[in-house]
Amino acid sequence: MSKREAGPRRRAGPRAYGLPTLLFAAAISACLPTRSAKADSGYELGHGYTVGPFNFAGYGEITLAAPDEGRKTVSLEDFSLFVTGHVNRWLNPFVEGELTHLDFTHSGPSGSDHGDGSFVLERLYNDFELTDSLTFRLGKMLTPVGSWNVIHGAPLVLTTVRPAVTYRNFSEYLTGASLIYTDPDGDNPGLEVYWQPDREFSERPNSITFDQYKMVEGLHLTIPLSLLDQIGFSYQRSQDSRNINQSLFGLDFKYTIDKLTLQGEATYSFLGDGASGHQPRAEAAAYLAGSYALDDIWSVYSWYEGFSSRDYAAVSHDLLAGVAFHPVPAMSIKVEYLQNIGGPPVNPTGLFASWSILF
Amino acid sequence: MIRLISVLAILFVCAPMGPAWAEGLLIIANPSVTFAPPLTLREIEAIYLLRITNWPDGSHIVPVNREASSEIRARFTEEALKQDNASLAAYWNEMHFQGKMPPVVQESEPAMLAFVRRVPGAIGYISASTAADGVKVLSHVP
Repeated sequence: MSKREAGPRRRAGPRAYGLPTLLFAAAISACLPTRSAKADSGYELGHGYTVGPFNFAGYGEITLAAPDEGRKTVSLEDFSLFVTGHVNRWLNPFVEGELTHLDFTHSGPSGSDHGDGSFVLERLYNDFELTDSLTFRLGKMLTPVGSWNVIHGAPLVLTTVRPAVTYRNFSEYLTGASLIYTDPDGDNPGLEVYWQPDREFSERPNSITFDQYKMVEGLHLTIPLSLLDQIGFSYQRSQDSRNINQSLFGLDFKYTIDKLTLQGEATYSFLGDGASGHQPRAEAAAYLAGSYALDDIWSVYSWYEGFSSRDYAAVSHDLLAGVAFHPVPAMSIKVEYLQNIGGPPVNPTGLFASWSILF
Repeated sequence: MIRLISVLAILFVCAPMGPAWAEGLLIIANPSVTFAPPLTLREIEAIYLLRITNWPDGSHIVPVNREASSEIRARFTEEALKQDNASLAAYWNEMHFQGKMPPVVQESEPAMLAFVRRVPGAIGYISASTAADGVKVLSHVP
């Protein structure tokens, strides 16, 4: 999930291959299943290892970023480990830790990101299964604004470069409580309502995020269309680091017609108290993506995004196209080119590629 | 003797040549599972799509699957879950990322039987022609 290329707080500085780089490269290699392990254990790539009531899994992504202007990098974008536990109805813990933004090597002019890598706590919560259809979640979790944010693992998403609307202008994380309704038959809409009373627990460092939010509350309604297709409605109210209150409304969808899959998301935020006079009173963004399966393992894809930020009056327009190779569902290789076609760049023009695996 | 050989030859030629699971699938569970059979297709689907995670007595459901390349898994996926393998693999990966444990994989029918027999709350499937020794049969998928 590359989303730092145009990060306004990216730090810079020369560095070469280091011990952390080598250690994590070795860790990735060690975590990949060997043929003998697969044969002995019944391991299936992407499903993790189950030991009693606990499942140990994770994902990794190595990214090549070659923007036309700015620093070119080969980096470990994400190395994430997560543990899922199902002990009984009341004890279902989940924890995810991640090493992110670790440059293996880079060239070009310095920016604002050293690429030294950061350890972050992505999720830490427990699910209380009140009934078959109702779950109470307590802890740190991902906010259900659109669908990309809650399924952001690199092998599971369409592109290397995320459309900005899928992670900017709203709080991606929540430390608090949520109530989740899911229809056991999968026919009726699902609903998640959530609330964060104050600040996020274990906030991500400013170098890898665009803003910090507090007092977050919202809901997400999901209307299932098929196993993987759906329409979603999002609402989120929050306060950013400059004490600007915002109310976001969002619409997202995914729809498959034979080999063609369309997906998209649009958000509109009203900026309320705290916005200074020169800033826009609202911001909006939308992306529309299409992917076409050439066969079981090859596909081509593209997206267009229009994005307005509270920091700029003009709207950014980006266009991306690429090709993906999925030798197995839990692994992908993507190569894509992004072109800024108007407005201030949200994502830089250039070539991007990634190799990612869910294990 | 010639007549006997002829009869045996005819029986051999006329015998069903399809795989064992052509006779259907048995949905099996650990004997500790208190659910009263039969389990409906909707319930099987809800369990394997991770929408129901607890048996009625509150114990945890442990769904078990065969390896991705097995023909019996393809049959189960198509007949019981009404899905295709690729969509289901993508779905389970997404669910796993969201904190739901995907089905445990066992790579042979004896391994499936042994796992379901041993693990409380486990549910799996075997060919209807296989003796369901030591497990509880919850339903038969023709």
